[in-house]
Amino acid sequence: MKRFFGMSFALVMVVVALMALAGLFYLAAAGLGWGFNAWFGEPGRVDPALVHYGASLANVLTLMMGVLMISGSLLTVAERKWSALLQNRVGANRIKVFGNPLGGIPYLAADALKMLTKERVEPARATHLLYELAPMLSLAPVFCLFAIVPVGPAIDLGAVFQGARGAGQSVALQVAKMDAGLLYLFAIASLSVYGTSLAGWASNNKLALLGGVRASSQMISYEVSLGLSLVGTMMAYRTLQLDEMVVAQGASVLSGVPAWGLLLQPVGFLIFFTSGFAETKRAPFDLPEGESEIVGYFLEYSGMKFGMMFLAEFLEIAVFAGVITAVFLGGWHPLPIAGVTEWLRASLGGGVLFGAVCGGIFLTKMMVMMWLQLTIRWLLPRFRYDQIQQLCWKILLPAALINIFVTGAAILLDPSLKLLATLGLVTIVVVAVLVGATGKAPAASQAHAHGGGH
Amino acid sequence: MPYQLDNRPADLREQMYFPEIIRGIGTLTAHFLRNLFFTRDANPDILERPRGFGKSDNVTLFYPEEKAPYPPGYRGLHRLVPRDDGKPRCVACYMCAAACPAQCIYIEAGEYPDDPVEKYPVKFVIDELRCVVCGFCVEACPKDAIRMDTGEHAPPSYQREAQQLDEKALLRGPSVNYQDDPWLRREAPSIPAEKLAAMKAAATPFPSVATDEYAQTPGFSVKALAAEARARAERSR
Repeated sequence: MKRFFGMSFALVMVVVALMALAGLFYLAAAGLGWGFNAWFGEPGRVDPALVHYGASLANVLTLMMGVLMISGSLLTVAERKWSALLQNRVGANRIKVFGNPLGGIPYLAADALKMLTKERVEPARATHLLYELAPMLSLAPVFCLFAIVPVGPAIDLGAVFQGARGAGQSVALQVAKMDAGLLYLFAIASLSVYGTSLAGWASNNKLALLGGVRASSQMISYEVSLGLSLVGTMMAYRTLQLDEMVVAQGASVLSGVPAWGLLLQPVGFLIFFTSGFAETKRAPFDLPEGESEIVGYFLEYSGMKFGMMFLAEFLEIAVFAGVITAVFLGGWHPLPIAGVTEWLRASLGGGVLFGAVCGGIFLTKMMVMMWLQLTIRWLLPRFRYDQIQQLCWKILLPAALINIFVTGAAILLDPSLKLLATLGLVTIVVVAVLVGATGKAPAASQAHAHGGGH
Repeated sequence: MPYQLDNRPADLREQMYFPEIIRGIGTLTAHFLRNLFFTRDANPDILERPRGFGKSDNVTLFYPEEKAPYPPGYRGLHRLVPRDDGKPRCVACYMCAAACPAQCIYIEAGEYPDDPVEKYPVKFVIDELRCVVCGFCVEACPKDAIRMDTGEHAPPSYQREAQQLDEKALLRGPSVNYQDDPWLRREAPSIPAEKLAAMKAAATPFPSVATDEYAQTPGFSVKALAAEARARAERSR
C-alpha cells in the first residue's frame, strides 16, 4: 500500500514537473525573444521577426536538446524498466546511488560511459566517408522532425512580461511554424532511410547490407501509407500546419466533444500508428535489425557510432509520439471536453501558467504514447518479411485510400464535420465491441490468411 | 509450470488480428499497472506469492540477497559430521575416497593417543574443484560421517587453493550421535566420562531410511508443490 501511494504521488509529481518544465521553456522562449528584440532590434520598436527568431532559438535549445534528447535517452532506461514491469520482472537495479536504484536511471550514465569509451573498430574495406556519415544521417533528420511539433499553445509576449514592450507578439513552444507542416514531416522522415541504408552499404558486410536493404524497402513502403493516413486529417482541419491542427481540435463537434483526430479519424490513427511504428524500425517491424538472423544494418558499428543509431531509434519514438499527440490526441488541449481550454485560458490569465499547464499536458500525452509504443514492442513478435509487405500494400494502403474517400465524402456532405465525427464514433464503438466481446465466434470456414481490423 | 493449450483453429476475431492486439495491450497494461503500483512479495516460494487484484505479479528473487530454498536431497558443499564432543565421526576408513569417481578426497589416518582401537583423519582434504557432486562419498560412508546437507555451493574464490577444503573447514554443522556408535558402546577412553554419559543420553537410533532433516527449509515441500501443480493442471483440463 505504501508503494501504491508513493507511486501515485510520483506519477502526479511527474505531470507537475512536466508542467513546471513547460513553464520554464516558455520563460526561456519569451526571454530570448524579448532579448533578441532588445539587443538586435532598433530601440523603441518591436520587430516580430527578431522575437520569433529568439523564441525559436530558445525552443531549439529547450525542446530539441532538452525534451527530445532527454526523453530519447531516458527511453533507453525505460525500455528495460518498463519491459521488466510488463514481464513481471524487476529490471535494471544493480547500480545504486546511496543504496537506491532510482528506477534504473543511473544506468544511463553507465551506458553513456560504456559507449564513449569503447574501442572504435572500422572494417578494413568499408567506404570510409559513407561509413562515418551514416550515423549522423540517421540521427540528424529525427532532430529536424521535432521542429514542427507544437508542444505548447501560442501565448502573448505581453502576458509574460507585464507591461514590457512586445504585447501582441505571440510565443509558442514550437521551433518552426511553417506552412508546409506535414509535408515537411514526410520529407524529413523519408531522409532517415539514407542513414540506415548507407550504414548497411558502407560497412562492407553482407549481413549489414541485407539489413540496409530490408530497412530501405520497408521504410519506403510504409512511407506511402504513412503519408496517406494523414490526408484525412489534413482535409478535416483544412491545414497542413500542426499548430493550427491542434487549435482546430479544440472546437466542439458533437455536443461538447471536441474534434480530436482520434474521433474524426480513428482509422487514420490506426494506419498512422502502424506505419509510424514501421518507420521507427522496432519490433514487430524490426526486420532491419533482426538480431537473431542478420544482426542488423549497424552490425559493423561500435561505440558511440552504434550509440547514435541506437539513440536515433529512441528519438524517433519520441518524435513519433509528439506528432501523434499533436495530430490525433488533441495536442495540448488538456481534456477531451470542448471549452475546457478556453476556460483554462481565461482563468489562468493566458500567460505562462496557462502555457505551462497545456505544455505539461502535451508532454504527458507524449509520454503515454511512448509507453504505448514500448508496450507494443514487447507485445508482438517480429513479423515475417512477406507479412510486412503484405500488411503495408494489401491492408494499410487500401484502408488508407478508402479512409481518404470516405472522409472526403463525409466532409463534402457535411462541412461542419458532424457526419465525420459520427462515422468516427461508430468506428470506435465497432472496434470496442470487437475487442470487448467475449465468447468465441464459430470458427470461420472461409478463412482469410491475415485480416486488418478495419 | 507449462499449461495446456488446446490446438483449436483461430476464431473470427483472432483472424482479424487487430482486436487481439488491442486485447494484448490490455493484458500487458494490467500487468504493468499491478507491478508498478504494488509491492513485490519477497516469499522465496514463488508459487505461494499472492496473486490477483491489488497484488504485484512479480516473480523475481533478488538472488544474492534472497535465496530460494533448495529442495531436500540437494547435494551441497560437503561437511564432516562432528560428534557431540566436537571430534569428527569419521574413522578414516577410506571408503569415501575409494568410492569417489573424481578422486578428490585425500585422507591421512591417525590414532588417538589414549585409544589404540580407533582411527581418525589427521588430514581430510576435499578438492571442490575436482568434485563432481555425485554424492557417492555420502553413500559409501559407514559411519554417516560425511554429508552434503549444507545447502551451500562451493563459494567462489580467486585461488584454486581456497577450494581445497581441509578437515578444519569441513568439520561443521550439527553433531550426530547414534546409539550403536562404536565409541559409545565401547565407552572409548578418548571421551571424558561425563561427556560420554551425556552423549549416550542424547543418542538416537540409526535411521533405517535416509533423511535430509538439515537441508529442509520450514514450510517448503517439493511434494506439496508438485501436488498443487497437478491439481492446477487437472483444473485447467
